[in-house]
Amino acid sequence: MIIRSSDQVPRVTALKRFPVPRNFGVSPESRIEKGKTWSAPSGAARAKSFEIYRYDPDSGDNPRLDTFEVDLDDCGPMVLDALFWIKNKVDSTLTFRRSCREGICGSCAMNMDGTNWLACTRFISDLGMPATIYPLANMRVIKDLVPDLTHVFAQYAMIEPWLQSKTPDPDAERLQSREQRSRLDGYYECILCFCCTSGCPSHWWNGDRFLGPAVLLQAWRWLAESRDDATGDRLDILEDPFRLYRCHTILNCTRTCPKGLNPGKAIAEIKKQMIERQS
Amino acid sequence: MNRKRPRSPLGRALGLGSAKDGIQQWWLERVTALALVPLTIWFAASLVAHIGSDYVIFIAWLRTPIVTILMVLLLTALFYHTALGLQVVIEDYVHSGMKIPTLIGIRFGCFALAVAGIFATLRVAFGG
Amino acid sequence: MADPTSERTRPLSPNVQIYRPQLTSVLSIANRITGVVLSGCAVVLVVWLIAAATGPHAYAAVQGAIASWIGQIVLFGATFAFFMHLCGGIRHLVWDTVRGFELRSIYISGWAVVALSVMFTAAVWAVSLCMAGWNR
Repeated sequence: MIIRSSDQVPRVTALKRFPVPRNFGVSPESRIEKGKTWSAPSGAARAKSFEIYRYDPDSGDNPRLDTFEVDLDDCGPMVLDALFWIKNKVDSTLTFRRSCREGICGSCAMNMDGTNWLACTRFISDLGMPATIYPLANMRVIKDLVPDLTHVFAQYAMIEPWLQSKTPDPDAERLQSREQRSRLDGYYECILCFCCTSGCPSHWWNGDRFLGPAVLLQAWRWLAESRDDATGDRLDILEDPFRLYRCHTILNCTRTCPKGLNPGKAIAEIKKQMIERQS
Repeated sequence: MNRKRPRSPLGRALGLGSAKDGIQQWWLERVTALALVPLTIWFAASLVAHIGSDYVIFIAWLRTPIVTILMVLLLTALFYHTALGLQVVIEDYVHSGMKIPTLIGIRFGCFALAVAGIFATLRVAFGG
Repeated sequence: MADPTSERTRPLSPNVQIYRPQLTSVLSIANRITGVVLSGCAVVLVVWLIAAATGPHAYAAVQGAIASWIGQIVLFGATFAFFMHLCGGIRHLVWDTVRGFELRSIYISGWAVVALSVMFTAAVWAVSLCMAGWNR
């Protein structure tokens, strides 16, 4: 799917967030407090407010929400540009991950105006006033917009995401027909930004046991692989009320994938294969 | 899952391992749902058709063999589906020690209600 | 629980508090809520059948409770919950055959569930009120 806009389908949303209190059900160390406001430089003709989640592990303080006024005439068009503008011109301690700035590395995944996306491929003009920027939802925060991805990568390691052949190594490459190769389309492109897993309510409530859409999409990528012989072992790993079947096809994953991939469909394929092997 | 000893990230992700289960619950939820589509539509339509009917007409309707059979099937599928659905809801949100007792309670409750409903239907069908 | 890994003390970034409600998540939670509501309705169904088996008086008492204005409001809500869960459930069954996962399809079927639930509820109540009028 070609992404033509940083918001794939038109929004018809009256609510910007669910009607729950800001710090609803939040543990003491995660409560968000009011932060500072950094005004736009004098003479800025077009200023836009950005409310940004801040957390400094060295201060011992709770996370807070700072407001930055960004001079749009002095800043590039993407959210990542705005973050750089703030870091360069206002507060150099603002911390975020980024690398490729063109939507292929997955480093700058974060929650902008309530949905997860890559900061480098999201237009500032698509965000409301004020724009709200949080780290990826439901992740332990290392600093500011940098989430700790240790657990989700451990879940990724669990599905053994590598080719497992039970036949002797061939002398040349392991061949694949065009048709076999095309079964991986829509799955191999995943950049592991974890926008989908972080946007999945089922992963919010049971993330310790549910693998989440990103990892399950990867699991299907290896189940769909014609050169792989470990299909049965892979299904064994997944066959669990929590690891796989906590997916209730909410489809926030497919809705939010910044690469236009379809984790929801991949999971449906796995469930279908589970049924096929037992009936 | 609340192990007291520290574990590696991979160890924590692996947890207690795969239960090699869950597929039956998922599958039966689908099968009962499929059965409930025609059964509930039939039941809703019958209710609308009986608006204003008195007790005698209603009992006569419930005593027709096809209606009795469909009602027993409806109750069976309905409470099976209800038990499976509520189980998922509890597993999703309850993480305390109340989880297992609640799951047992749901099973008991749904089974008892199904038996009660089926018994009442048969009582009407075969009663004097 | 004392966990020596530093991760324990790290704050958890907000989830439901900030995530934008979308048709996907709203219909999912709606399907769950209507399912729980219908579980309550299933209890009423059994009470109603037991009353019918007990005799005319017990049956009349239950019918009276349903005919009260509170009973009618609950019944109206139950009708909507039924159609919402029915349409949403059929949408899920289609998904289980690995069909309809394109984002466009997800949105079209989602809005169809909303529209059909409203239409069916309205239609059933319109017919019911007409029939009640004739029988009176």
